[in-house]
Amino acid sequence: MKTLSSILAIAWLLIVFKPEAQAVPSYSRQTGLPCATCHFAPPELTPFGRKFKLDGYVFTTKAEVTDEKKDHNAALHLLEAFPLSVVFDTSYTATKSPQPATQNGNFQLPQDVSLFLAGAWGSHVGSFVQVTYTVKDNHFGWDNTDVRYANKEHELFGKSFTWGVTFNNNPTVEDLWNSTPAWGFPFTSSNVSPTPAAKAIINGALATDVAGIGGYAMWNEHFYFAGTVYRSQHLGGPEPNPGLLFPFNIRGFAPYWRLAWETSTKNNNLEIGTYGIHTKTSPNAITGLTDSHTDWAVDFQYDRSLPQFKNDVLSFRGTYIRENSSLGATFAAGGAAQPGHHLNTLQGNAEYHYGTKLSGTIGLFHVTGTTDPLLFPPAPVFGSATGDPHSNGYILNVSWWPEQNIDLAVQYTGYTRFNGGGTNYDGSGRNAGGNNALFLLGRFLF
Amino acid sequence: MRRMFLKIAPASIFTCLAILALPCCLRAQGDAAQVYKTNCALCHAADGSGETASGKSLKAKDLRSPEVQGKSDEELAEVIAKGTGKMPAFGKKLTPDVIKSLVAYIRALPKKK
Repeated sequence: MKTLSSILAIAWLLIVFKPEAQAVPSYSRQTGLPCATCHFAPPELTPFGRKFKLDGYVFTTKAEVTDEKKDHNAALHLLEAFPLSVVFDTSYTATKSPQPATQNGNFQLPQDVSLFLAGAWGSHVGSFVQVTYTVKDNHFGWDNTDVRYANKEHELFGKSFTWGVTFNNNPTVEDLWNSTPAWGFPFTSSNVSPTPAAKAIINGALATDVAGIGGYAMWNEHFYFAGTVYRSQHLGGPEPNPGLLFPFNIRGFAPYWRLAWETSTKNNNLEIGTYGIHTKTSPNAITGLTDSHTDWAVDFQYDRSLPQFKNDVLSFRGTYIRENSSLGATFAAGGAAQPGHHLNTLQGNAEYHYGTKLSGTIGLFHVTGTTDPLLFPPAPVFGSATGDPHSNGYILNVSWWPEQNIDLAVQYTGYTRFNGGGTNYDGSGRNAGGNNALFLLGRFLF
Repeated sequence: MRRMFLKIAPASIFTCLAILALPCCLRAQGDAAQVYKTNCALCHAADGSGETASGKSLKAKDLRSPEVQGKSDEELAEVIAKGTGKMPAFGKKLTPDVIKSLVAYIRALPKKK
């Protein structure tokens, strides 16, 4: 039981403290372009931002140390400016009801500080590499990573064809749109307010806990394909991996897939796609029985520029994730009442960008799944009295950018149901609305 | 489920390898277009039309249009070196000689229509 509690605690940590999505000033220094060229509002990518990422983060207009390829000599393309950036977050979080035995009104200075190595490493290789300090851990830890090789110099069937290879540590971090989990809404969030217990595995559970290599391609600016295979790589865990104390130890490889179609006109951009992952894992072990999860998802994103309103942008994004799991190992260990489970996650949001200064977003989320009192046991705040993972609610966010690299945000998250109930959902007398959270953020990027 | 995994994993690895192998099967572009392709095509498209997703959103000019082609070589070189509107300046990256060759390349775009 103690082991199971440890596994649940670590799983909860992995889910709750997902890496934050951010924009990176060193890209701006490299391209000579303002943040707004690549972002409607960071980290939401414009078509130019998507192309910059697709092409391997290498586009530059700045001076380089170069040596051209001649005869049997290799070329050299080095940025004169080292591509280093800093993001500093400070925040305040207050929940409607305090968490038991803790002080409400949590002020963090900083909430986290991220250092980025983000820019061109050569003519075809570039990176988004992030390390993040958090007050809770009181040290820097490895965060989102996407190092990629890209080649845009070919055609296929007479149409443009860009292809690349990505090394990354988070399924969907390689993606170009903001409708998939790694870069999806909310773009900022509190790291102290309670969040629902159930979350699909592709929805952040493996973030920075895996190492992957994959390929991607965009054909004719319409069809995007990507595939990555992942192995477990536990931060702070021993190497080689013995599996102990980690809830997801991937057996073999976990394949991730992505297929998307996009089309654009002068004022419209539409993307429709599908993605997913299949994992076979052993909780707290590398041998023996396994749990398997298969996530199938669809997503869409639509951005509409409004010329009659000085090109303000209206964005709609959504995703549905269906997770089917067979928890043989967890069931055998007494952590689940039955092996077969499913989880449905529906997320959607609408956002209005008032120039590059202000944006307002309304997001809705809805999670339902198999009731299991052992998998979702009663516990104060984070547990479920009924074993029902059903949660739903809304997120309201207003971000003000007095300058393109300063974000002052107000966010309110409201729950109408939390871990299966509206009232006394945890069996300890807490109501779903007690987890409603006000989050204030000051973000400085330089 | 195990059978499904065994099918998906090799398929995924094969896809990666196939993508890596693709360049051998594709038609490599000539050197003449290299500077244009690296620096300009992202917005202006390979054919200069500006019909890329980023070009459309940034309202990039059609380089084959009379408006652009009507400019003198010096004016085009100045736009490339100093930038204009949402277009960044390339003067710190590209030498005057390279910019000159780029202008010549842009001049030839309408003929490739």
